[in-house]
Amino acid sequence: MARGDAEFVEFATAASARLVHAAFLMTGNHHQAEDAAQTALVRTYASWSRIRNGDAYGYARSVLVNHLVDTWRRPIREYPTEDLPEQRRGDVADEVATRRWLLTILGTLTARERAVVVLRYYFDLPEAQVARELDVSVGTVKSTGSRALEKLRTAGLTAPEPQGTRR
Amino acid sequence: MNEVDELRRAMRATERADRDGLDLAGIMREGRRVRRRRQVAGTGAVAAVVAAVLIGVGGTVARTRPPEPTGPAPAATAPVAASTATTDPSPTATADPGPTEPPPRPVGAVVGSGIRYGADERVFYVVPVDVPELPGVTIGLAAGRRSPTGELTTDYLVNDVAGSDRRPGFHQIGYDQQRVPADAPVPTFGYFVGPAARIVGTVDGRHVEARLARWSEDPRLVIFWFDPGVLAPGTPLDGIVARDARDRKL
Repeated sequence: MARGDAEFVEFATAASARLVHAAFLMTGNHHQAEDAAQTALVRTYASWSRIRNGDAYGYARSVLVNHLVDTWRRPIREYPTEDLPEQRRGDVADEVATRRWLLTILGTLTARERAVVVLRYYFDLPEAQVARELDVSVGTVKSTGSRALEKLRTAGLTAPEPQGTRR
Repeated sequence: MNEVDELRRAMRATERADRDGLDLAGIMREGRRVRRRRQVAGTGAVAAVVAAVLIGVGGTVARTRPPEPTGPAPAATAPVAASTATTDPSPTATADPGPTEPPPRPVGAVVGSGIRYGADERVFYVVPVDVPELPGVTIGLAAGRRSPTGELTTDYLVNDVAGSDRRPGFHQIGYDQQRVPADAPVPTFGYFVGPAARIVGTVDGRHVEARLARWSEDPRLVIFWFDPGVLAPGTPLDGIVARDARDRKL
């Protein structure tokens, strides 16, 4: 395997889980999320010689979110109870409840609002970086993020308490 | 913990560590195909670039396009390396331009938009396409520029990659995300099949109205575009609807 290919495999192995999860947060659908992450990695690999020494993760992330924003007509509609993993920790019910709550409140946002929320709060990017990756102004990121948070508050931006802690 | 921290925590807590990994071999195989297409596109040969989106102009490209090992490309739209419809393109001293094919020829009337780039005007026109294994797709919609002498330069071509190009409803929409060419950004454009009297997009909570023109060869086909002053080229829409003459949603 060529050196560049080996580097890409290492990169993709490390990055794919977070890319898939980011896409899941934007679509609410695991299959669409995997498709989107795959598309982002295909384009990243196609440009690998150019970006391998730069911010490859940022490139893949940017391709991913812009690809998903462009396919805006896909609603969030997957509910997590249909595909539960087999392994089990005691907090599965909490995780399921959290995922359901998260998908419900994210489902109130537009595609671009979801993209800003995911980049800001899942990837923890500063606003200027979000603006670069979405190719919009910092002002747009601020206003979109602010509007998104307002919608999330209206939708109930307070996660369900873990079971057993409720009084 | 404040509400934003709560959101962060929830996003991370719902990560799934048990999912199977992606098919890296498949990703790299497809990535190599994309890379090859870009390299071919870089030669500036219209036919080769058009083949990159699996479109054969005039039904002839299918015989000359580079072999493709598998099915349709993942992208349904692509910028076309600027190509003029004149018969005498300027010679270049660069790489072999590859197989030559005629540039896309409009079918029916060319629609003027009134959008100007110096002396050139942004125009839209239907062109014949030949998509392997998709007999229902015979046309695509091109965004080009028309010079004062009537010369056409195709910038962007969109076509369906599934089903029928006359299916009622919206078809592929062209976004100029790459700003091709940089000094003449392509407005967001596409076509709708049906009795649309208005087409309205939504972006950031505001409504933007498209301009419409019916195709001379089939009036069911409504070509639309968003003026750059209304919607900056490349700005993704959050939604789009068509309404009939009685303002009913189609």
